[in-house]
Amino acid sequence: MFRWKKLGKVFTPQEIGGRPWLKEFAQAPATLMFDDFVRIYFSCRPPADENAQYVSYSAYVDLDRRDLFKIRNVAEAPILPLGGLGEFDEFGTYPVSVIRHEGRTRAYYAGWTRCDSVPFNVAIGVAESDDDGRTFRKLGPGPVLGYSQNEPFVLSGPKIRRFGELWYLYYIAGRKWKVVDGRAEPVYKIRVATSPDGLSWKREDRDLIESRVEEDEAQASPDVFFANGRYHMFFCYRHSAHYRGHENGYRIGYAHSDDGLTWRRDDGRVGIDVSAEGWDAEMISYPHVFELDGKIYMAYLGDQVGRYGFGLAELEGRLV
Amino acid sequence: MEWKKLGKIFDPADHDLANGCATHAQSPQAVVFDDFVRVYFSTRASDANGKFLSHVAFVDFNKDMHTILGVSTNTVLTLGELGAFDEHGIFPISPVRVGDRIFAYTTGWTRRVSVSVDTGVGLAISDDQGLTFKRQGSGPVLSASLHEPFLVCDAFVRQFDGQFHMWYIFGTVWRRKTPDTPPDRTYKIGHAVSEDGIVWRKEEARKIVPDRLGEYESQALPTVIQIGERYHMFFAYRESFDFRSVKGRGYQIGHAWSDDLVNWTRDDDQPALTGTEGEWDSDMQCYPHVFACEGRVYLLYNGNAFGRDGFGVAELMI
Repeated sequence: MFRWKKLGKVFTPQEIGGRPWLKEFAQAPATLMFDDFVRIYFSCRPPADENAQYVSYSAYVDLDRRDLFKIRNVAEAPILPLGGLGEFDEFGTYPVSVIRHEGRTRAYYAGWTRCDSVPFNVAIGVAESDDDGRTFRKLGPGPVLGYSQNEPFVLSGPKIRRFGELWYLYYIAGRKWKVVDGRAEPVYKIRVATSPDGLSWKREDRDLIESRVEEDEAQASPDVFFANGRYHMFFCYRHSAHYRGHENGYRIGYAHSDDGLTWRRDDGRVGIDVSAEGWDAEMISYPHVFELDGKIYMAYLGDQVGRYGFGLAELEGRLV
Repeated sequence: MEWKKLGKIFDPADHDLANGCATHAQSPQAVVFDDFVRVYFSTRASDANGKFLSHVAFVDFNKDMHTILGVSTNTVLTLGELGAFDEHGIFPISPVRVGDRIFAYTTGWTRRVSVSVDTGVGLAISDDQGLTFKRQGSGPVLSASLHEPFLVCDAFVRQFDGQFHMWYIFGTVWRRKTPDTPPDRTYKIGHAVSEDGIVWRKEEARKIVPDRLGEYESQALPTVIQIGERYHMFFAYRESFDFRSVKGRGYQIGHAWSDDLVNWTRDDDQPALTGTEGEWDSDMQCYPHVFACEGRVYLLYNGNAFGRDGFGVAELMI
């Protein structure tokens, strides 16, 4: 079993002022490394509108590379505007995953639209930055990965990686909308697509991670990290019903693979769970693993899926 | 070439259709059998909230395209599941024979909040000569992509020289005429190819037919037939604003031709289909479908009110 030493919460959106679009939530952390700081992207929300509906934006916080608990800078504006009328990302850009590519920074993000019979639908878009990831522009008005025969809705949670010459996009795809107490709740599973250029994608078209807690287990945040000759995936999972609390809420799981495509789930090795008390006592979710100056860290969300921010844990030992 | 109009041939009010459908017989599309011609169309019921749901039905004609032999009385294809692209209607359905089976490319409708609707193209297959179709996966085979942001629909598929070709439309913009009017859509005809009819390669936002009404011409429902060495495409086109109520801004039938399935020359006047004053198609002609039967070439189409009261047929005089 891995040993993750919790370092505490590192970013609290409620403490950041002067940004009406950043009132609460700091979801789905994703890193981009700089010489003297670590840029952590996250997704946040302004207050809900009069119909109690949210939009979500993505932004970043720069943490000092020598002291990750020292905030050096917070984005002055969202990195990407919401989409235009009728576009897939009209009501939200969450989550986001970034990668450097040929002198630019590319972001893959989930775009949200609102629906009539179910609350929302989601598809994956792509955008690029020429200013080191401060602002991005969409490469097209539509999604780069949209709905398909066996991935009919809710394509979300992109994690972009390059291994060798190939691009890998890990993401989630909706399986069904399950009506619980009169409310439609999405069930989604972890999937992968590969590409020679990051734009034209070939889907594996199968679930990567077997479901464990129930057939309708929802899985998210498939965060893949290559270390010591093996692919490691930390992800999160929850029950399909009544998951907004401790009992059925998100936990972090683990799987490993020799090729990045075929995975063996082994949650017994994950080595991180909810705390007895504190900011992450109810649930933990949306893991992102990164290496910095010889150490391996995990950024993750605590209670209410990151409403009050994200924290860090440090791996004691090796990722093998 | 010119069209000889043969009049309206089907009125949904004259028949008992499944699923409680009482009005509309939109986008008629034919499959020719040995003894009859089966024409699929989309007809409408209302849901609990009074909103329309489009269902698939068919009517069988004698090969004279005049005598009705019967209509479908059972469900031909169910609507999609909760949250799926085709939950709120299937319109149109475009059938094509592939070996012993009939493939149907459906346009599925799902309701949105900021705009009225989005769509995708689904595939359903029949192994019982088109009486019923089974959906292939709960999602679409063709949907929005990087440069085709929404409203991918109206697929028409044919095989030429061993390759599957799909003509379809994609949305380019939603616009409001004034700040307090609902958004209206503009769409254009696109093209994709496939080896198996399932996995498609789009030309990705290439507008294959030139505009006649400018940037905001909406082009819909392409249908293609080979006559001699030349391919002919018919489609519907209209203005994007005030197309429901203002005569002259609504749908008309357009035409383009190609000798290579790549480059299309627009020529709406050769042949032209015009409305007849005082008749069922006086104000609008839309949703064309061209097919050959017994050596003749026919055009099925809808008239006024987008086919609320049925469809008619014209024959091509070559």
